[in-house]
Parts: sequence; structure tokens; C-alpha cells
Amino acid sequence: MSNDEIIVGIDLGTTFSLVAYVDAAGPHIIRDENGDGRVPSVIGVTPGANGAPPQVTIGWTARAHAIENARATVYSVKRLIGKGLEDIRRDLPYLSYAVSAGPRDTVQIEIDGRRYTPEEISALILRALKERAERHLGRPVEKAVITVPAYFDDAQRQATRDAGRAAGLEVVRIVNEPTAAALAYGIGLHRPPPRARAAASPPGHTPLPIPSCPTADAGGVAAHAGQTVAVYDLGGGTFDISILRLEDGVFQVLSTAGDTHLGGDDFDRAIINLVTEEVHAQYGVSITAPATKQALRTLAEAVKIRLSEQTQAEIELDLGRDRVYRRTITRAEFEHRIAPLVEQTLTLCGQVLRDAQLTPADLEQAILVGGSTRMPLVRQRIAEFFGRPPYTALNPDEVVALGAAIQASILSGKQADMLLLDVTPLSLGIETMGGAMGKLIVRNTTIPCRATEKFTTFVDGQTAIKINVLQGERELAADCRSLGEFVLDGLPPMAAGMPKVEVEFLLDANGILNVSAKELRSGQQAGIQIIPSHGLTRAEVDRIARESIQFAQRDIDAHRRIDLRNQVEFDTHKTEQMLARVGHLLAPEERARIEQDIAALRKLAQETSDLDELHRALTAFGHGTLHLAEIGIREALVKGDKEE
Amino acid sequence: MPTRMDNGERCTPAKCETCHGPMDSPAFCDNCHSLYPADGLNHFELLGFLPSFDIDAAALRQRYLQVSRGVHPDHHGRGTDSSVSLRLSAQLNEAHRILSDPVLRAEYLLELVGGTAASSDKSVLDGVLATTLMLREETAEAKAAADTAALDACRARARQHYDTTLAQIAALARQLPGDEGLRRRLRATLNSIKYYQKLLSEL
Repeated sequence: MSNDEIIVGIDLGTTFSLVAYVDAAGPHIIRDENGDGRVPSVIGVTPGANGAPPQVTIGWTARAHAIENARATVYSVKRLIGKGLEDIRRDLPYLSYAVSAGPRDTVQIEIDGRRYTPEEISALILRALKERAERHLGRPVEKAVITVPAYFDDAQRQATRDAGRAAGLEVVRIVNEPTAAALAYGIGLHRPPPRARAAASPPGHTPLPIPSCPTADAGGVAAHAGQTVAVYDLGGGTFDISILRLEDGVFQVLSTAGDTHLGGDDFDRAIINLVTEEVHAQYGVSITAPATKQALRTLAEAVKIRLSEQTQAEIELDLGRDRVYRRTITRAEFEHRIAPLVEQTLTLCGQVLRDAQLTPADLEQAILVGGSTRMPLVRQRIAEFFGRPPYTALNPDEVVALGAAIQASILSGKQADMLLLDVTPLSLGIETMGGAMGKLIVRNTTIPCRATEKFTTFVDGQTAIKINVLQGERELAADCRSLGEFVLDGLPPMAAGMPKVEVEFLLDANGILNVSAKELRSGQQAGIQIIPSHGLTRAEVDRIARESIQFAQRDIDAHRRIDLRNQVEFDTHKTEQMLARVGHLLAPEERARIEQDIAALRKLAQETSDLDELHRALTAFGHGTLHLAEIGIREALVKGDKEE
Repeated sequence: MPTRMDNGERCTPAKCETCHGPMDSPAFCDNCHSLYPADGLNHFELLGFLPSFDIDAAALRQRYLQVSRGVHPDHHGRGTDSSVSLRLSAQLNEAHRILSDPVLRAEYLLELVGGTAASSDKSVLDGVLATTLMLREETAEAKAAADTAALDACRARARQHYDTTLAQIAALARQLPGDEGLRRRLRATLNSIKYYQKLLSEL
């Protein structure tokens, strides 16, 4: 790898995102002209005049216009990425933009009649960070390390990687946020620069040299005396707790736990709920208008921040028609409302310690990361739980990006003495007979790791085996997250139980699953087709990467319509051929249903202007004809046998 | 692939095929950073230990970290090396997981000498089922009565059974390969300790 290859480190946060890099002087956050490294993770879309393409604003500008542009301002998209509509149902009442179900258990954001995937929105933020880095470094930036919450599952990790790819970045590694923070802590970045907005530091550079021999008392890791630390990371939308052993350049995660739906947004909601209830009681009105919702959200966030510094704050909300809601909220009142959420984080702290077989007394530090750890209640409860004051010397907003940049420099071969060993946060398994979850890899196993399992057939002549791959800790498959249906096909037709297929599940250093299969009797690599339950297909990611949304919408739709119609023609034609050949083997009802489906899909392809609907119909058609396709393949094989 | 002795017990000081320097580990060359797939190696060989129940925990960890530095995907990002590195790392992590746990280590040794797997021999030592059943009942009663002293007592007894069984496992595993009878006893003792492990995890 060439020495001047640049890999940036990106913290893609729920509320703010940052980009950093490492040079000879150490890791640096890339800042704006005001000295602020943070880019709000907010996107605003305004329709172009007279059919011109929509205009996109990102960051502070989008955030500043959030209230008047409420329906077209997207924030906290990290809570949606890699999720299905069911997963985010309790978020929906709080969002001022429209969210609907997308294909394959994804969600889509709807603005002015156009649908955006969370990956697309995240890609816009990543693109802004990429451009910021390119301006600062004066060269193209094509590679990045992106951080994710440690508790992100496979779908969320893949979606984040897809967002990077869609932004024109090769994501060389997905790193867990608390692990990145531990890297920054471990190399002795113990004294952060003052808060950017108040800082008089010059824009751009804030050199933080990596000490060659950091000392333990300065927060760095002494050469040989190891230490065990907890990283408590409470961000805008997610919570992670990780226990790490730091020793001699080795950063080993012992255990991790978290909640990808618990963070600053939820603390804001405590205030939002309070105001909503009281407004309803006093004025009999519900807050439903997107602009009012957005105004309340902005207000709640400001009040929450004020209550970290003061013991009370004023709330004032203009309800229109000369109605103004006013009240004073005390810190005690706020803390009373958020206490259950803070206790939830401590329950998880107890769990990671048990998983690591440690007690609070075994820890040298409890390190705080994430903006929400500025709240006094959080600090107080952590101090009580861990029996020591938490370590607050790191800048909670910047440390993750700095850690990502350090990991990037390890990956570019510049830190050969450092070794990062992370774990998988969730158990991985398969659905077994009777709908149970059969674990193959347990949570907190060091990654990369692999497990193999043998499968066979249940029916004579069966040529395909379906495997439902799961992630989660619950006993029942239905309670775990399905990563997708893996279909082993192309097996030679044999008597039931004869084929022996060995499937390898390999979790790579990104915590992302790779599956391969081998038929042991023939020693051949079995065909494996992965139908992900979630997320985007490779083609969709490439499409997003190709079409920047600045392109005219109509062009894109026209292309997509042609592609989809061609696909419809191809699939229906193939199905008709199959029906002519083996249709007599189907039940008459099934045959009639497929014939109706063919006609209906062709009609829809000619008539509809909703391409997403057509895409869904095409996918459903594919599922509805699976059985027919299986029969067709089996017949072809049997016939082949007879002819031999 | 560097050569090793036919009995598979010990990795000989091998030569790196790329730079011809001596190799400390069968998986990678410290000198030129070449990687070698280690598909045929068992966990002990991969980490450079003789197959034995007695293994020094500190030496194991040190060796594991040293080989990890050499083979980890963080240091072998691109090209053909990356898939070899991924597999070696997975293999190494598995080797460390097994060898650093005395129960898994004994089970692995039994497997290496051709003993039966838990899936085909489910026998347990006499009295284990009755003991765990009784402890489980007492635990349930203590929990129902919120009697922490009784619960602590249950935990202490379960721990004691666990420790005794582990000592039996160690004594048997040290005599491997042994005869068929010894291997069966070890199998039953390993099956037994899983009952105590499960009980302790619930307490």
C-alpha cells in the first residue's frame, strides 16, 4: 500500500457527523471556518423551480431552516438505517417528515413525491464530509473508515457500508464507536481542545501528537501496565457500553452491549411529551403540524442542553392565534422523567460486566463518550454504578472521529505495532426445526470468527435448501432478526438425506457476515443465493451512487421505468414458457393464480407511474412463482438423467 | 507451506518460502509478512504448543497476541492476502477461545485423540442429574422467598460441584490418550460439567 494513500475516519452520528485524518503530527478533526468540526446530520430538500432538479442543503444550513422546511428536512436518519417500518414504529409520531415502508423490510423517506432510502440520505452527509476533507487536504479522498454503534446488527452495518459506497467512498472498515473512542483514549489523547465554538484555535489544524510512550496517569496506556476500561457511549440516538483490555498496543474488546434506539433524541422526547400533554390539557389542541413538531423538537433539544448547565429553563411555544404556551421546567423535573432511560443504560452496564466476568472494582476507568453524557444525571449515576468518578477529559463529540482516523492509519500500515480485537455484539444462528434459534456463534466472540454447519435434504430429488440466518439473543427464531434467506441450490438430485452441504458462516473484521457453502460428496462449491431480508441490493447501491439526486428526477424515473418494464417482460415471458412445459404438474388453482399474476403485472407495468410499487409487484411476482421454478428445474434434471 | 514434523505434535523451525528466513509461527513470517494458510493445523500447532491439558495462561495469551499482530486483517488489507488473513484470524481466535478455557481445551484434546463427541455419547456421571435437579429446586424456592442467604448457599454448592468436576476433568485429560475406558469417563465428566455450568449461569 502506498504511503501517501489517505484514508479518512468518519463518525456518522445521529445528530452530528465529523471527519478526521492522521498525519505525522497525529490525528486531526477537519473543522469549518468557525473552528467547528461538527456537521449536523441534517438534510434539507427544496423543490427546484419550473421542473428543475431538487436542491439539497446539508448540515448547519439545513438545520437552520428545519422549522420552515419541516416536511422536507430529514434528521436522525441513523435511527432508520437498516431498519424496517415495524422496528421504528415508536419513532414515527416524532418525525416531521414522511416515512413509509420500502422493499425488503426497509423504510423510505418521502419528500415532494420522491422517495429516498436512509442510505441515500446518509450518503449525502458522507459526501459532504468527503468534500470537506478534499478541500482541506487538497486531494481526492476515496477511502474511509466509518464508525457505527457497537450494537448495530448486520443489516445496519451493511446499510452503513452501502451509504459509503453510494457517496463514492470505499469503506475499508466499519469500526465500533466505543472501540474507536478507546483507541483515542489509549494513545493518550487525554486533553481535548476546548469546545470548538468557544475556541480561539485556528481552523483546520489542532495537532494532537501521539506520544511515543504515553503514561498511565495522563490517561494513556503505559507501555506494559495494562488497564481495563469501560466506554460508556450515549449519543444522539444510540447507546453502547464496551469493556476493553488495553495493553501494550493491544486494544481488546472483552464484551459489549447496547441499544440502537436509546439516546439524546429520547431525552428530547421526554420534554416533547410533557409539552404535548400540557398543551392538550390547556388548549385542547394536538401538535400535529410538521412545522410545530419541528419547532418543539428544536426547543426541547435546547431546553435539555440548558438543563445540563442550569437548574431550570424556560419553555415557550407559539401555538398561533395568540396562544402561547409558557412554563418553567426544573432540572429535577426533567431528571425525574428521564430516570428510567438512564437506568436502562445501567442495566446494560451490569450485563457487559457479567459477560466479561468482571466487577466494577476491576475497572481502571469509566470513559464517557457522546454528547448525552454531558447530562449531570448520567454522570452522577455512572459514578454511583462504577464506584468512581467517570473519565470526562475526552471531548465527547470528537473522540470517535479521532479514533476512526487512528484505525484508518492502522489500516494504511502506519501503526504496525497496534492491534485492535473487537467482538460481535449479537449471537448468530440459524432457524432450526420447530422455529427455534440454534446459535452458531455466541455474542462477544472475537471477530473475525467462523462456524460451520452441515445441512441435508428432506425430500428425494430436492435440489435446493433454504436456511434462515438469524441474529439475536432470544430463544425463538421469530423473536430474532432474520439476516436473510440463504438458498443453497444446484444440488445434484439424490435420495433424501444423501447430500451433505457444509455451510460456513464467517463474520469478518467489520462484523459483517459472509456465507459460503460446499457439497461434501462432490467437493463442489454449492451455488448460494442470498436474498437479504433487509437493505439494498448491490444494483440499488450502484444506482444511488450513479444518480446524485441533483439529477433531474424525470430522467432517473424514465431510466428506471425502462429497466423495470424490461424486467417485467423478461420474467413474465420466462414464467409462461415454464407453465407451458411443466404447468400440468401444478395444482389447477396455483396455475390459474400464476396466469392471473402474469396479466396483472403486465397491466401494472403499462399503467402505473409509481415505480416503487412496480418494483414491489415484481418482487412479489418472483416469490409467487418460486414453486413453479423449483418444479421446472427438478423436471429438467430428471429428464437429463433419463436421457443419459 | 512450511514443513512440519509428521507426528503433527510440534512445529519445526520452518523456512519462509518467500524470503527463506526462519519462521517462528507456521502462519506468518515475521520478517517479510508473508501469510501461509494453516488449514491442516490443529489449535495447538497454530499457536506453537504441544497438545497438552497443562498450558500456561500468560504464555498462551502472549503467543495469541503475537500471532494476531502478524495475521490480523487490519495489517493485510488488500489482494489475495486479505482472504487468507481473514481465515487465519478466525482460526486463531477460535484456537484461543478453545485453548484458554479448561473445559473446552479438555474436550478438544479428547477429540484430537479420537474420543467420542458429545452428540454421540450423552452419558453423565452418576448422581449429576439428581444433584442438579435438587439444587435447581432449592434455588427456585430461595428465589421465590427472596432468601438471599439461601441463594448464596445454593450458588456456593453449585460452584463446589463445578470445581470438583473440573478437577476430575483435569486429572483425566492429563492421562490422554489413555484407554477407551478413560476416554469414556472423560466424555461423561465433560457432559456432567455442562449441567453445573448451566445451573451457575442461571444463578
